[in-house]
Amino acid sequence: MTTGKERLGRRSSIPPKFVLIANLLRAFASKVNLPKNAINQGILVLRSNPNNALQVVRQMSEHRTMHIKPSRWSWNRFKDFMHFYIMLGAIPAALVITYINLFIGPARLAEIPEGYVPEAHEYFPHPITRWLTKHVQKSYQQEYELMCHHIYEIEYEQKLRQAENRIKRKMAEKQDTQAYYYQPVSSRYERSIRDNAQADLEISGSV
Amino acid sequence: MEDPPSLNDKSNSYVEFIKAVYRTVDRPVTWLREKVVVPNRPDNVYYHQKFRRVPTIDECYTDDRVCHFEAQQQFNRDKKVDGEIVQLVRQRYKECLIAEQPDHTRKCAKLQADFLKVSENFCMKYADLGPLNNVKDAYMKQKHRMLWERRHGKVGTGMKNQDAL
Repeated sequence: MTTGKERLGRRSSIPPKFVLIANLLRAFASKVNLPKNAINQGILVLRSNPNNALQVVRQMSEHRTMHIKPSRWSWNRFKDFMHFYIMLGAIPAALVITYINLFIGPARLAEIPEGYVPEAHEYFPHPITRWLTKHVQKSYQQEYELMCHHIYEIEYEQKLRQAENRIKRKMAEKQDTQAYYYQPVSSRYERSIRDNAQADLEISGSV
Repeated sequence: MEDPPSLNDKSNSYVEFIKAVYRTVDRPVTWLREKVVVPNRPDNVYYHQKFRRVPTIDECYTDDRVCHFEAQQQFNRDKKVDGEIVQLVRQRYKECLIAEQPDHTRKCAKLQADFLKVSENFCMKYADLGPLNNVKDAYMKQKHRMLWERRHGKVGTGMKNQDAL
């Protein structure tokens, strides 16, 4: 770790002529209007170090420095994502799929034997599709029959509602029936208000 | 017309060399597959599903929604099957064209007539009905076509005058 007082370059391996010219250029550069020269006021002194980063040196502290350089957060995050998706995603998936394709392989087509009803997973050739159909997904027949039953129930309710609407309309037209042609009233709320008022009366002495 | 010459008839040293290069890569891989990999695989079979026929839309009551649903599903399956049939006939016709290229008008005439007939039937039943496979729309299309044919004669023979109807 270099201290603030060291200069740029290594003195041992550079010939003296170049060192002189370098010093001259450095002296010239320190007078030129550069940001690093402008911060020479006050307690902060900017020095360049061999790692090509600007160093902030507070004159009163130890030799610990903070390297001012562009953020590597995006690059690190990119590497994290690459590792996650490739090492944990693409490579295991590729290995598993290669193993299945080589050592289990697709099924071969055959005629349905007499009197045999194949299960749903026996209608697909690839082993992964077969496994999914067997253990994860609903088969075509199952979904078909579920849908048929659903339609049957919905249709029943629809027909009841349609009949009710027809009756109501006829009753409204003809106005000759009183049966079931009133607004249904529930006295649940009135009862609860009465009970609450009774309880309040018992507790507090007044309503 | 005799077959065009193929590499299997005669050979020269260049052809033999190329074949030998191919064999250096192909032989070990084929041997490994045939002797090691394939015999150790489980012998699974798969079948083509056969569906029972259910009543079609013209045999369903108007308020029987379950019957409509089953007829719709059967229509979807039939449309896929018919589409594949058209594909097969088209593929045969195309292969004939490519193989008989200078004489295709004369040699592929029967396949062309077959293909045109099959695609005409397909379009009569399924075409111009929109993106959703609605079986009732197809049924109504058939009804309208039969009415039109009753009034004007076969499709393709032109409309009769309105006064003559």
